[in-house]
Amino acid sequence: MKMTQEIENRNNGARYSSTLLKSISKPGRYAGGEYGQIVKDKATVKARFAFAFPDSYEIGMSNLGMRILYGALNSHEDIWCERVFAPWVDMQEQMIGHDLALCALESGDAVREFDFLGFTLQYEMCYTTVLNMLSLAHIPLRAEDRCEEHPLVIGGGPCAYNPEPVADFFDLFNIGEGEEMLPEIVRLYIRMKDEGRYTRADFLHEAARTIPGVYVPSLYRVSYHEDGTIEAYTPIYDDIPTKIEKRIIQDLDRAYFPKTVVMPYIETVQDRITVEVGRGCIRGCRFCQAGMVYRPVREKTPDVINCQAREIFDTTGYEELSLSSLSISDYTRVGELTDKLLEWTNPNMVNLSLPSLRADSFTKELMDKVTSIRASSITFAPEAGSQRLRDVINKNLDEADLMRAVNVAFEAGKNQIKLYFMQGHPTETDADLAEIPALAHRVIDEYYKNPNRNKARPPQVTISVSPFIPKPFTPFQWEAQDTLEEMRRKQAFVGTCVTDRKIKYNHHDAPTCRIEAVLARGDRRLGKALEEACRRGFKFDAWSEYFDYDAWMSVFADTGIDPAFYANRAYGLDEVLPWDIIDCGVTKAFLKRERERAYKAATTPNCREACSGCGANKWGGERACCPNSKS
Amino acid sequence: MLSEQQIVNRKPKEAYPALEQPRTVRVKFRKIGNLQYISHLDLQRTISRVLVRAGIPMWYTKGFNPHAKMTFGLPLSVGAESLCEYLDLRIDRDMSCEEIKDRLNGALTDELYVLDVYAVPQGSAFADIIWAAYDIRLRTQGLSPSLADEIKTYLTTSPLMMDKKSKSGIRQVDITTLIRSLDSSVENDELRIRATLCVSGSDYLNPEYLIRALRERFGLLPEGDMTSEYTILRTHVYLTDGVTEFK
Ligand code: SF4
Repeated sequence: MKMTQEIENRNNGARYSSTLLKSISKPGRYAGGEYGQIVKDKATVKARFAFAFPDSYEIGMSNLGMRILYGALNSHEDIWCERVFAPWVDMQEQMIGHDLALCALESGDAVREFDFLGFTLQYEMCYTTVLNMLSLAHIPLRAEDRCEEHPLVIGGGPCAYNPEPVADFFDLFNIGEGEEMLPEIVRLYIRMKDEGRYTRADFLHEAARTIPGVYVPSLYRVSYHEDGTIEAYTPIYDDIPTKIEKRIIQDLDRAYFPKTVVMPYIETVQDRITVEVGRGCIRGCRFCQAGMVYRPVREKTPDVINCQAREIFDTTGYEELSLSSLSISDYTRVGELTDKLLEWTNPNMVNLSLPSLRADSFTKELMDKVTSIRASSITFAPEAGSQRLRDVINKNLDEADLMRAVNVAFEAGKNQIKLYFMQGHPTETDADLAEIPALAHRVIDEYYKNPNRNKARPPQVTISVSPFIPKPFTPFQWEAQDTLEEMRRKQAFVGTCVTDRKIKYNHHDAPTCRIEAVLARGDRRLGKALEEACRRGFKFDAWSEYFDYDAWMSVFADTGIDPAFYANRAYGLDEVLPWDIIDCGVTKAFLKRERERAYKAATTPNCREACSGCGANKWGGERACCPNSKS
Repeated sequence: MLSEQQIVNRKPKEAYPALEQPRTVRVKFRKIGNLQYISHLDLQRTISRVLVRAGIPMWYTKGFNPHAKMTFGLPLSVGAESLCEYLDLRIDRDMSCEEIKDRLNGALTDELYVLDVYAVPQGSAFADIIWAAYDIRLRTQGLSPSLADEIKTYLTTSPLMMDKKSKSGIRQVDITTLIRSLDSSVENDELRIRATLCVSGSDYLNPEYLIRALRERFGLLPEGDMTSEYTILRTHVYLTDGVTEFK
């Protein structure tokens, strides 16, 4: 503990000056010093890693992946991983005005001085913020322009399954789960430095050659056909893989999991304990990328989850615990797990919340256990209004299931239901769309039919509809997105079908979804557009107040990019896709089969009912539901 | 911070005998460094989690939405540090003040750190705090020794009218009436002001008013100058006589 005299005489030297922090909004975003942050001696560590989240502090600090990887890297004594987030707009103005470079939170040192700068790519609309952060950090945007003294810029996360649009800006990508791969990459760097044989080029080559899951885009040439489609990916060395196989964690029970959390002082989006129950999803909705790329489905055991949650509670004092999963009720031992958790969460007044509940598994028993469901409203995601279209997307949800679920909610005194849908699924007609409000009307009828409802309050149903975005590695990856005009027409059409004031209708911003489609299915040629967007000051495109569709269109026009080529074109089934360089386990043959079934409105059983041979079982995995898996 | 092992080995709070009546203990803590940027609301949320992870046997309010009972002393504005913040806690088990202090510090960093925990003296209340002493420092170029005297004279000569915000709106106030004492000196590139200011109710004088006065009258710390810095540190709080320290 520091003595009073020492405090009175100290100098507030390093990092951003106090005058700067006093002049901007929410200085707590940049101050660091949180309880649980990890500080090491920079003179003795062998590699410094800046873990960057390309969005605001409040969003980034809520991310579980970042918590895990921060801890996993720091569990190596000679590696120091720090955090860095995108400074908010007011701070950026000051930084540019005073020529200040982007700093990491723990040390306050410029990230430009680090060995690694790693970005987690959680959504496509963060790409401009990635470039924005590189430029604030005074690091050349393009990998080819960086020299030995610059940090190695690496990327990972869900968007790395199609890294091509941002390939020019990264030295290296992690494909798949990073807990093991990321430390391996840093260890290789340390080893080569220790042995005195490190150069940037040699390191990248050796990483690509020896570490599974590493993709070094500069080591692959892309050639194109005259019509603009891709001809081939050609590795420039013959000792590197021709397809990068994603990495998975074999045994989630034994995977690294942090025992504590860096506790933000300011309020963040998800300021609570989050523990995964497993990875992957047995369902196979045909539009859903997460449901495909995280296969095979692997579970943790309830004891492990319980211990991990308890440990974090003991070290943090959080008042809420959230179980994370793509579909929590599909966890095979959900009853056993919640019982174990409630034993200590209840007496300690910790609220248990379960996201992503499916209507077909929503029961009174579960509702009584879990606090979040006690809130006044409850959310389900039928994703399509008509049964035919729900079969097309393989949602495997009957209207009867939904009606049963809403009745459980009504009998518990709830009067508000939120329903999520998408518009623009393949084969959709206006009749399917009209079923969205019609379904909401039927939920309202159901309310009045229920004798045990809360008679004091009228029902309210909120329908939220977002445009379909074709995503890589899904059965719908080849589909065209609706044009902007068509998206808007459909949005208006659904609006005209809402005839009851008890129905609230929201829809997502169509222009944003169009740009997201371009970035999701883009190839390397988008690099020049992103570079130009950065030059024009684009950032925070995931924030509606900073998203400017017309500005995007002029960037595309000026860089010779046709957005319709990526968003509104049906990709050919035999075409080389930009993400064909990646092997995520799920085979193209399976995706094609699923696409054909979609067009016949034929559903596919979930992985637990029957294996559909998607191919992901080749990775193995403990407590995976796949038959004949490798292990 | 405690090590994992220390947390595992700690006695659970349930192992302490229950009190017949809840007891109030006073916590004196400092809030310095990075913590100066944390608002009062954020501090409250932080402390409520600290109490849980430290295993303090808090007394909980009864009713639909039970919460731990804690009362903070004076407000401290964002951008000011302090060595003398106070917080009263109500506990329902017999845990010693020494142990509460150790447990809290095991769950805190150096910048938010408990200096003392003690039973609340008979009749003592936060409303008794009328004055607070501040140590204000400005690090900037071009300070002359004569400036120290000019500043002192300016800030202590009545009337010094300033627009002061209060709940009922902005009004003109002679701020010298809210300054009990003030001294100023210049050493190297640092201007230092030690001042005792009123902190009572609507007469609360935020030390930022002094900074504003210096800005307006002497052109110190011009807007946008990031090389100059100032710090405000609250060092003591006093009762109405301005001499007796609050306990
Ligand atoms: S291999 Fe079979 S069970 Fe495993 S994820 Fe694929 S479809 Fe599901």
